Amino acid sequence: MTAVPRTILAVDAGAATTAVALLGRPAGRWRLLGSLVAPAPAPPSAVATVLAGRIRAADPSLADAVDLDPAAIDDLPRLEAVSQPPPSLAVLAASRRAVGLLHDIARRTAYRVIAASPESHDPREMTDLALRPEVTTILVGASEPPGPDERAALDDVAGLVAAVLRRRPDVRAVVAGPLTARRAWTDALGDLVVGDRVLEAPPLGARSGPDEALRETLEGVLRSTNDTRHLAMRALVSLADVLDRRIELVEIGFDGGLRAVAWPGVADEGPSAEGVRSADAALIPPDPDEAAVEEVLAWTTGSLDRHRMGDRLRDLRSEPWADTTGEGARLRLAAARAAMTRLVEITPDLSGRPVADLTLVAGGAFAAAPGGSVVLAVADVIRRTGATQVALDHARLLGPLGSIDDPDDRRDLVADLADDLLAPLGSLVVVAGMPPRLRGRAATGTVSLESADGPATGSAPRRELATGELAFLDLAPGRQATATLEFRDSARIGRRARRFSVAVSGGLAGVVVDLRDVPLRLPDRRDRRRAALATWGEPVWPGDDR
Amino acid sequence: MSLDPGLRLVPTRRLLGGPVDAGFDLHPGDVVVVADGQAVSTDAPLADRLRDARTAVVAGPADGDDTGVPGGRWLAAAGRRGRETDGERAGELLFRSGGRWRIGTGEHPEPLVAPFAGVVHEVRPGTSLRLRSAARGLPGVETLAGPTSGRLTIVTGPDGEVRAPHVDVSAAGAILVAGARIDAEALTRARAVGVRGIVVAALGVKERRDFLASERRGRAAVHGLPPFAILVLDGAAGRPIASPVMAILRALEGRTVALIGDPPCLVVDDPAIELPAPPDDLVWVRSGPLVGAEGRWAGLAGPRRFPGGVTLEAGLVRFGDRPPIAVPLGDLERFV
Repeated sequence: MTAVPRTILAVDAGAATTAVALLGRPAGRWRLLGSLVAPAPAPPSAVATVLAGRIRAADPSLADAVDLDPAAIDDLPRLEAVSQPPPSLAVLAASRRAVGLLHDIARRTAYRVIAASPESHDPREMTDLALRPEVTTILVGASEPPGPDERAALDDVAGLVAAVLRRRPDVRAVVAGPLTARRAWTDALGDLVVGDRVLEAPPLGARSGPDEALRETLEGVLRSTNDTRHLAMRALVSLADVLDRRIELVEIGFDGGLRAVAWPGVADEGPSAEGVRSADAALIPPDPDEAAVEEVLAWTTGSLDRHRMGDRLRDLRSEPWADTTGEGARLRLAAARAAMTRLVEITPDLSGRPVADLTLVAGGAFAAAPGGSVVLAVADVIRRTGATQVALDHARLLGPLGSIDDPDDRRDLVADLADDLLAPLGSLVVVAGMPPRLRGRAATGTVSLESADGPATGSAPRRELATGELAFLDLAPGRQATATLEFRDSARIGRRARRFSVAVSGGLAGVVVDLRDVPLRLPDRRDRRRAALATWGEPVWPGDDR
Repeated sequence: MSLDPGLRLVPTRRLLGGPVDAGFDLHPGDVVVVADGQAVSTDAPLADRLRDARTAVVAGPADGDDTGVPGGRWLAAAGRRGRETDGERAGELLFRSGGRWRIGTGEHPEPLVAPFAGVVHEVRPGTSLRLRSAARGLPGVETLAGPTSGRLTIVTGPDGEVRAPHVDVSAAGAILVAGARIDAEALTRARAVGVRGIVVAALGVKERRDFLASERRGRAAVHGLPPFAILVLDGAAGRPIASPVMAILRALEGRTVALIGDPPCLVVDDPAIELPAPPDDLVWVRSGPLVGAEGRWAGLAGPRRFPGGVTLEAGLVRFGDRPPIAVPLGDLERFV
C-alpha cells in the first residue's frame, strides 16, 4: 500500500529566482504552508530546508501534523516547473513581405526570433544566421502560388535551408509552403534522409500566415513538458473550472511572458484556455538596445538619461535578482510595463475578448513589487473597460500545479489551494467614454462602495470622480462590495450608461477606479509624462519619500 | 566545516573554474586550419577569418566527379577563373541554386590564433570550433572582441578609474587591470599604443557602443587590427572589483594570461600557481546602496521591508566591527 503524502514540495525554478512552496494536508484539505524565493540558481532543497525550518519554528504542531522534517526535504514528493531559456528560431523567406508574415507568427511563440530575407541579407549572411550555434529550428515559408516578390529568390532560400540541414544535423526545419518540392531543395539535400527533422505547415497567404497551425507546429517542436509557462496554462484551466470564472493570466518573466485566457466549461464543454507565450515579452531583451531603453524610459518617473538607463537595464539583465529596492523596484516595474506592452501588442486576439472576471498576475517581474503598484501596472497597459479582480500568484504555484498530468487530480489540488494560491491585490474598474474635462467642472461622477453590512469604505461613503484621474478606495482583502458609479454624462464600462453597479472585492490596493483614456495617452514631453506617471503612482508606493 | 544553510541561498560567484572549454565563432568563408583532436600551442593558428566576407556566384567544383557539398571548400581551377568565377580564387560552398553555387569568400583573412594551449574539438566550419585545456578561468560577465593574450598589468586599484593619460606605450603587449571603470578615450588610446586587453569591473553602454563602433571601423580598414579584448567582470554600472578577484589578479600580475569570449573569462594556463581563496563566510555587496562593501555573513534575517515598499528575503552581514545589518539576498554574492 502506498502512503498518501501529507506534504508536497512545489518548485518553480525560474531563470532569475527559485521559488519553493510547501503544501501540507493537516486535516483533509491541502493548504499552502509557506513559500520562499531565493536568487537562482539556489538549490531548491536548500531553500525548502530553510522554509521548513521556519514553519516548524512558527507552528510545531502544524509541522507535526504534516510530518514536516527540515532534514528530510529530499524525501518529499515534488511538483516541479522549470523556466527554460528560449531557443532561437531563424525565420527565412524569399521576400520582406513573406518574412514579415512569418515573423509576426513566430514572435507569438516561445522562440527568440531572428529574421532574414534576400531583401535584407545576402546569401552568406543568411547562411551565417542559420548556422549560428544557438539556432535550433529554422522556419521557412512561401506563398502558394509564390507571390511576384518571392519568385526570384525562392530557389535560393530553398537551397540555403536544405544546405543548412545538411550541415547541421541538430537543426530542425518547419516549412510553410511548397518549398520541399523545388529542385534546389532536393538537390541540396542529396541522399540525406531528413525524416522528422522537416515538418510541413500550411503555406502563407498574401497578407497573412497560418497563425494557429504554424504556432502549433512550432510549439510542438519545443517538446518542453516541464516548462513553467506551458504548465501554467494547464493550471489556469483548472483554476477557471474551480472558481467558475473567466480568468486572464499575465505573466512576465526573465526570458519571456505569457498571456492567456481560461474559461469554465459550459454545458457539456469542459473548461479550456487560449494563450500566447512569447520570448518577446521577456522582462529585458538579452541585448537591450536603444529601442529597449526608450521603451522602459517611457514608463519611468526618475531622471535617468539614456546611457544610465542602458547601464541599469544591462545590469538587470545580467543580475535580475539584484537591486530590487528603492529605485530598482520602480525600474523593474517600468521594465515589466514595457514587456507587458509588447505582450499586449502581439495578442490583439486576446485583447478583443471581454474583460475577465479575474486578472491573475504572475512572474518574477512582479514578485517583490508593492501590491498597488502591480494593479496600477496592469491598469496602465491592459486597457479594457470593465471591472476585474486582480490577484497575484504570490507563491508561484501555477507552474508546479500544472505539472500534475491527470486533470482530475490537478483540479482537486487546485480546488483545495485556490484561496491560498491567489493573493488579492484589489479590483480594477476601467471607465471610458466620458466627456473631456472642462474648466471649473472637474467632478464628472461619483463612486460609492456598499457591502452587505453597510458602507465598505472607512472614509467618505461617496467619492467624487474626475475625468482622467485614478481613484483609490480602501477595501480590505477578503471583503466583497458593490461599487456604484454615477456619472453626469454617460460613460462606458462594457456598455454605455450613466449609472453602473459592479461587484468588487478587496485587496492590498483596494478598489481602483481608472478614468484615464482608453487606450492610455501619455504626454509626449518627457517631463510631463514623468509628472503624470509620478502622480498616478504616488498612492501605490508606500513609504516613498520622493 | 559545513556551510550555514542560509548562506547557501546567497548567489555564488565562481572565482576560478576549470578546465576551460573555449568556443570561437566562425562564419561562412572562414578557413579552419586545424583538425578535430589536434593539440595546439599558444599562438598557433586555428583559422583564417575573413574581414571582408561576401557572397559570390560560381559554377561549382571544377572536378566533374565532385558535385560539391555545402560547407566544402571551393577552389578556382586554372583557366576557368576569368570566364566562370568572376575572378574568385577560393571560398566556402554555401548552397546551389539555378545550377550555380553561392560561395562565401573574401580577400583579407585575419588569423585566429590560440590564446592558450589546448586540444581542438567540435570543429564546425562556418559556425565555431572549440579549444579545451586544463587551464583555469576567472569568469566575467562579458568579453568584447578577442580572443587575446598578454602580460597582466595592474594600473589602478579595485575602485580606480583609468583615463586616457594613464595609458602609455609602456603598456604595449599587456592586458591591463583597469579597476572600476574605463572611459572611451582610454580604450581608444589603449588600442592605439598596442595594449592587448583590458580587465575592468564595469563598462557603461556608452563606452561599449563607442568601442564596438571603433572595432567595426578598424576591422573594415585595410590593415585590420591586432588582437584586443575587454573582459567585463561585473556589469555596466560602476562598482569596484571585489577583493577576492583583485587578490587573484594581483597574484597573476606579470604572468601571461588570455581573454576569451565563450565563456567570458580570463584564462590562467599555469596549473602550478597558487591562487588565494577567500573565507567561506565572506560576502560582497554587488548592487544596491552598499555596492562594493564586503563583510562577514551573520545568518539569515528573514523577510525585511526595504525602501520602495518592497519586502525581500534578507541576510545579516557584519561590515567591519559594526553590528550586522540586513541586506537583500539578491544584492549579495559569495565566492566559491
